Amino acid sequence: MRRPGIPAPSRETLLAALLIVEGAVFSVTGHGFASLDNVLGLARLACEGGLLALALAPVVLAGGIDLSLGSLLGLSSVVLGLLWRDAGWPWPWAAAGAVACGALGGLVNAVAVARLRANPLIVTLGTLSLFRGLAEALTRGVDTVTGFPAAFLSLGQGALAGGVPVQAPLLAAALAGSWLLVHRHRCGREWRAIGFSAEGALHAGVPVGRRRLQAHLLAGVAAGVAAVVQVSRVGQAKADAGTGMELLAVTAVVLGGTHLSGGQGSIAGTFLGFAVLAVLRNGLQLSDQPAELAGILTGVVLLGVLVLGARRGGQRG
Amino acid sequence: MSCAAGCKPADAPAASADGTRDKAGGPTIALMPKSKGNGYFVAAKRGAEDAASELGVKLLFDGPTEPDPARQNEIVETWITRGVDAIAVACENREAVSSSLRKARARGIKVVTYDADALPDARDFFVNQATPEGIGNALVDEAARLLGGRGRYAVITGSLTAGNMIEWQKAIERRNADRHPGLQRIALRPCDDLKDRAFAETTAILNAHPDVGLIMAICSPAVPGAAEAVKQAGKAGKVRVIGLGLPGENRRYLHEGVTDTVILWKVKDLGYLAVQAAHACLEGRLRAGATRHDGGRLGEVRVADGQILLGEPFLFTRANVDQFDF
Amino acid sequence: MSTDLRRARPVALVLGVLAVILAVTAPGFFSRAQLAPFLAGTAPVLVVACGMAVLMVTREVDVSVGSQFALCSVLLGLLLGEGCPPALGIPAAVAAGALLGAVNGALAAGLRLPGLVVTLGTLAIGREALRWAREGRFVQDLPPSVQWLGLGQSLGQWALALAALAVATAVSLGLQGLMAGRWVHAAGSDPAAAATVGVPVRRVTFGAFTLLGALTGLAAALNVARFTDVDPKTGAGLEMQVIAAALIGGVSIEGGRGGILGVSLGVLLLAALSPALVFLGIPPEWERVLQGAIVLASVAGGTRRAPGRPTP
Repeated sequence: MRRPGIPAPSRETLLAALLIVEGAVFSVTGHGFASLDNVLGLARLACEGGLLALALAPVVLAGGIDLSLGSLLGLSSVVLGLLWRDAGWPWPWAAAGAVACGALGGLVNAVAVARLRANPLIVTLGTLSLFRGLAEALTRGVDTVTGFPAAFLSLGQGALAGGVPVQAPLLAAALAGSWLLVHRHRCGREWRAIGFSAEGALHAGVPVGRRRLQAHLLAGVAAGVAAVVQVSRVGQAKADAGTGMELLAVTAVVLGGTHLSGGQGSIAGTFLGFAVLAVLRNGLQLSDQPAELAGILTGVVLLGVLVLGARRGGQRG
Repeated sequence: MSCAAGCKPADAPAASADGTRDKAGGPTIALMPKSKGNGYFVAAKRGAEDAASELGVKLLFDGPTEPDPARQNEIVETWITRGVDAIAVACENREAVSSSLRKARARGIKVVTYDADALPDARDFFVNQATPEGIGNALVDEAARLLGGRGRYAVITGSLTAGNMIEWQKAIERRNADRHPGLQRIALRPCDDLKDRAFAETTAILNAHPDVGLIMAICSPAVPGAAEAVKQAGKAGKVRVIGLGLPGENRRYLHEGVTDTVILWKVKDLGYLAVQAAHACLEGRLRAGATRHDGGRLGEVRVADGQILLGEPFLFTRANVDQFDF
Repeated sequence: MSTDLRRARPVALVLGVLAVILAVTAPGFFSRAQLAPFLAGTAPVLVVACGMAVLMVTREVDVSVGSQFALCSVLLGLLLGEGCPPALGIPAAVAAGALLGAVNGALAAGLRLPGLVVTLGTLAIGREALRWAREGRFVQDLPPSVQWLGLGQSLGQWALALAALAVATAVSLGLQGLMAGRWVHAAGSDPAAAATVGVPVRRVTFGAFTLLGALTGLAAALNVARFTDVDPKTGAGLEMQVIAAALIGGVSIEGGRGGILGVSLGVLLLAALSPALVFLGIPPEWERVLQGAIVLASVAGGTRRAPGRPTP
């Protein structure tokens, strides 16, 4: 669809403008929106979702998808809790175990997608149920692990100098790391190539299977890390942790301009897309608006940005 | 912008963009359910609105759309930033919300819990409608009465992970073992808080266990779902239905004699009392160590150990259900 | 029909094994008292799944059917409560569903946006708007003429199941016999090639979204007819159930392939899982594990069945 006329702005510009509009509106309507406290608080609360979105971006760039990340977060949380409480591991080991669990879950997806060449949507739809089911089976659904040591809780609830939450540098590191990987490393180029045309990439000598495997593995690790962050922030490990977060991550990635068919997209876009959603939810609540409105507007923003973007030629390859 | 979910329209929100509290009107009290779109908490909200208009309080009502402790924690954090004067929370999980509630108290915000408590040091008072024991005992005692002390029953729960239902299940098991050894629980099935699924689960239980004598539904959409299943199976009166639910959703089945008893406290009074207590804390009328609290239209209520007691669970039956409007 | 049969073989096998296990250990599962309400309750799911299968054959997907289902159910409930006769209310629900489907279709096909993302947006909008408006309140005390469409329970249960069977048969025949059905397959297997030979690919996609919406509206009506109240949360998770049923029934996520027979068996298998656990006495915490395993097994089966097919 090529129409003459004004060229549409890039997705990143559009999202940045949207973010500024949100900031301006909520500074007026939101109580305490434009305060340092709120900005720092947002970093604390948004960290887990941000990690998942940033890790999902490479998967989608390479033409894949992962719907199991929320469930994997839940399973990793439960593993963390059980390792610490029942197996008696010290918490740093249990946390490492949770990350390992995330990696293992990512590996399951990765092997099915990269080695068995199964469709990633179906695979992760299956593991969406499977991981959540395992988390419920491990705890019979009813068992909640709480009472973690203060040192562990301070990871999620404590603050560094100047009231900066521990999550802020973590999120910044994840942002920087994924940016380097996607935009400055061979990996990113090859993910894109696979997303555009897996067959073409294969002929060009790209290790397609290995790159796909790495993307899914990375997403799994991110789910494990997000589990540690969430358990330490909330202070409990339970089988339903992270329910629905896969959709938040997918929404952020797509909003950020990454094509679901693969090949196109940027880390900056993903992060801005996620920020637009997080600020929307935060700003509306500070403006005393109900949670349902945030849900509705999330849908509206997603559709609106897509429709505006459609002027640039649509999302289909 | 209309604001059907009960928050008062923000008429003059620009007054305090810097995070200080708006003192123009009365104080602001924020009320959080375990989840929105749940008839139980909507009834509580209606009681809270009554109290808010009596006291001249600005009431905010918001919560997670699905029961989610991490999201509850997040909403409390945001309310702290927003600068509310008091928070009343129905806690999905005590540890998960307590960390943010402690932070709220440290910032001088009064904290009341209702429906389900936080850790005691994370709140000023707990408006306690009934303990898990009270609920479990009432349900099992009623089941024993209907079954004549001997028989098999099945439990339909909301989800396997819902915190309060886990507590109730444990209390049910304890009471069952301690007092009514003649009763035997033969199945426990989740219904995802959906009436239609509760219907399907109950149908399967009725056919898989023809000797089941009673269905106990412990989440509110499950009670009418189970009743409809028993009715359609032609077993009304033969298989008893009891549960925790709202009288309004079960009126028809109570009158038809399908459902025997719906157990619940007066939810509207619970919301009313939560706002009353939060307001009294703010005004300094209610302090630690109090033994009495002026509950407004409810008269004087008893306070013990930081808990404001609403009273025992109430048994809604065919005889009294029409007296209630929720 | 033969390819349809072949595609349905793995799911038929699993369903058969489950049926044998149940027949041996819990024959009560096949009693009329269990089977009739089970089939009546599965009928709405089957109707939605038929529409989803058609859409997936065109290489699209719609994750908003759950909220469409709830919106149509509540609308129908409110209309009936206002005294509107079912003969008017049910077409209204179908029309409302078709309209919601057409909105998705217009965005997806008209603007060439990916359907998954579009419907992710409309899913959120529909579900949240309904929660906002109803706050979880049931639509209660529908007139007695509504339940079982006035046919009475035993007749009504079979009527619902037969209605769903009729829809499935019609869709199946349409997919195979009609020009539109061939267009659906062509648009899904290779849109560019289909366009060059004159298949109106975008109109086909739009039509498939609209058909799915209309069938979802019909399914909502079939579901409302089973009860006397409407739960506004009804249909939560329906999208995953029907997509999973289509996938394990042999519909290809890459478009172009799929038959209604396999999908119908897939619907039955997933719907039977939960009551089967009750009959077999398996604790409920294993249900999701089994669901996931069935979907993954169908993936494994699918890759084995088509080893030569490149999966880019």
